[in-house]
Amino acid sequence: MSITTTTRRGQGRPESRRRRRVEPVFYFFLLPSLVLFTLAITVPGLVGIFFSFTDSIGIGDWKFAGLTNYIAIASDPAILQSYLFTFGFSIVTVLVVNVVAFLLAVGLTSQIRMKSALRTIFVIPMVVSGIIIAYVFNFLFSNSLPSAGAAAGISWLETSLLANPDLAWVAIVVVTAWQAVPGALLIYIAGLVSIPGDVYEAAEIDGASKAQQLLKITAPLVAGYVVINIILGFKGFLNAYDIIVGLTNGGPGTSTRSIAMTVIAGFNGGDYAYQMANATIFFIVAVLISLLQLSLTRGRNTL
Amino acid sequence: MSLKLTRTLRMAVLALCLPLLAGLLSGCTGDSEKETIRFTFSKREAIGFMTKLVADYNASQDRTEVVLDTSGVDVVSASFVRGNPPDIALANYNMETARFVQRGALSDLSGTQASTRIRKDLQPLMDQYGSYPDRTSALPYSIMASSVIYNKEIFAAHGVEVPKTWAELLAACEALKAAGVTPFYATWKDDWTVAQGWFDYSVGGEVDTIDFFEKIAEAGTEVGPDSPASFQQDFEQPVEKMLKLAGTYVNKDAASRGYGDGNLAFAQGKAAMYLQGPWAFSEIAKTAPDLQLGTFPLPMTENPDDLKVRANVDLAAWIPEDSKHKDAARDFLEYLYQPEIIEGYNKSQLGFTPTVEAEAAPDPRIEGMVEYYEKGRVYQGPSVLVPRTIPIMNYTQALVLGADPAATFRTLDADWARLAFRQ
Repeated sequence: MSITTTTRRGQGRPESRRRRRVEPVFYFFLLPSLVLFTLAITVPGLVGIFFSFTDSIGIGDWKFAGLTNYIAIASDPAILQSYLFTFGFSIVTVLVVNVVAFLLAVGLTSQIRMKSALRTIFVIPMVVSGIIIAYVFNFLFSNSLPSAGAAAGISWLETSLLANPDLAWVAIVVVTAWQAVPGALLIYIAGLVSIPGDVYEAAEIDGASKAQQLLKITAPLVAGYVVINIILGFKGFLNAYDIIVGLTNGGPGTSTRSIAMTVIAGFNGGDYAYQMANATIFFIVAVLISLLQLSLTRGRNTL
Repeated sequence: MSLKLTRTLRMAVLALCLPLLAGLLSGCTGDSEKETIRFTFSKREAIGFMTKLVADYNASQDRTEVVLDTSGVDVVSASFVRGNPPDIALANYNMETARFVQRGALSDLSGTQASTRIRKDLQPLMDQYGSYPDRTSALPYSIMASSVIYNKEIFAAHGVEVPKTWAELLAACEALKAAGVTPFYATWKDDWTVAQGWFDYSVGGEVDTIDFFEKIAEAGTEVGPDSPASFQQDFEQPVEKMLKLAGTYVNKDAASRGYGDGNLAFAQGKAAMYLQGPWAFSEIAKTAPDLQLGTFPLPMTENPDDLKVRANVDLAAWIPEDSKHKDAARDFLEYLYQPEIIEGYNKSQLGFTPTVEAEAAPDPRIEGMVEYYEKGRVYQGPSVLVPRTIPIMNYTQALVLGADPAATFRTLDADWARLAFRQ
């Protein structure tokens, strides 16, 4: 009890907030997550990096191999292709998700009928597990769409999109976006609702059209939310795994293998050290991207 | 306040520990009565059979409680990495299991009674994957021979004979196609069906796989157009033939059909031939229990003496070195190898029993392969001899979907050389 009262009193007075001393209990609050994070993320991560310099298959005898794994990765087309695919896929998906979510959010915050019912419907995909979504869409792409194409006489629709090495990624983008739009949508709705109404009134009086209002008022005022959505989305799509496994399992051929899939394939397929080296490289790349994003967004529009 | 905190802390620690302690205690009482061993088996067509067998064993004695774990191959590999492997397994013997063998992760079974009854002439099928010095790391349990499955009713209705040469095969396909029958039902959506059927039957029917893999293992990092053997030089010809069949004589929607779709369609008589192993029979029988089916080796040359069937060790038994219940596991292993059990299993799954006393009791559906199996005219499928870290199944899928064979095999050669470089 004494703890809570001190804190509450502290918040009431601005000068006490400036004090350097922190209540030790806050460190105690930090402890469980710190321990869990260290045990579940940091330690296995370091172990993995260590093994990337060996020839281990995850079990049994192993010996040091120096940089052999890293040298081999540099010339492995499968891994290079997985990086290309993952980054290309992430960029396209981030664009699609944000454009769709932003437009939907504008629609769902304006004066329309059945607003809350529609909002609920659009958010449903978020609560369904990725692998289930993937299997349902897999069925749609493999059976429903081809038979619809056959019935309508559209020849290119008759073979499944998932069986086309050049177009399978489009199907993955569509399904991933379908699942990811609601999350971005909620953030955009929150952003749009927070824009005060008098700004629009003033614009109306000055004679701005709806399109001008959207571009000159709405867009700049939700810019911070755009940044958040892009960072969160990009981070998520780089780790793409479940939807791809359920849709194409990396195929046809090797055209849709993501980085996460190659890493896990190594874990399952007895190629532990090699894919740990791959994961280490991926980790460094991800850190670089995060630093870049942080430096680009520093100082403006942070939540 | 600090006093209060420590008291809270102490309470919290106590609250956390109590359930743990309770768990430990109850664990102890359980162990003293029966030793529990985890038995991994994930061949989905036979899970029903194995569940009953395990229940029988558990009822027959009161020392050991066997728990059946059907969670699958990938989970087993991962469990080794986590240091928590199963106590005993009956699993497909392939490159991945072989890696456990080569690194000494499996215990020696040479002292078991079961090991003395294994047919010696089957050893090459096991040794092809490598071994660990002075150990019998795994024992074969079920040998599967696979080749073309054909619908006898359709063949008879159109007067088509079982082909013995490549030319006869093409003629048979033409005759069926002219009569409006789809010659082959293909399921290219599942890449493994392309690898084990289309690719393995074509390549294995023409290339001497034992010799080929010995040569490229020796060439190692040098594998390429100038080495004694390479995928580019040796595989292109059979794969051209495979692509001829794949391009002309399959169902139109092959690219979007999977294994389950294929079993259903073939059971409904939608095609005359199906490139699957005997495991598909039980699935087909679910839809069409009385369908007349047979098997024949895919002819790839003009010489009937070249005919061979694909054979592999579908199940091998092994006990990990890290198991804490090796003795109990070995008792269960001996039980599994009792003649009526091992033969009963293989009969139910249309496999061949690898023990000396077992007699071939062929089901009419696999009769077409017995002759080749007994004369040893078998080959191990090339797709299972490539380590799984090379995505060979994806490559074969890409081939039937139109990838350039020359470029694909160049990639495969480079993958092989790279693997040799880092191991």
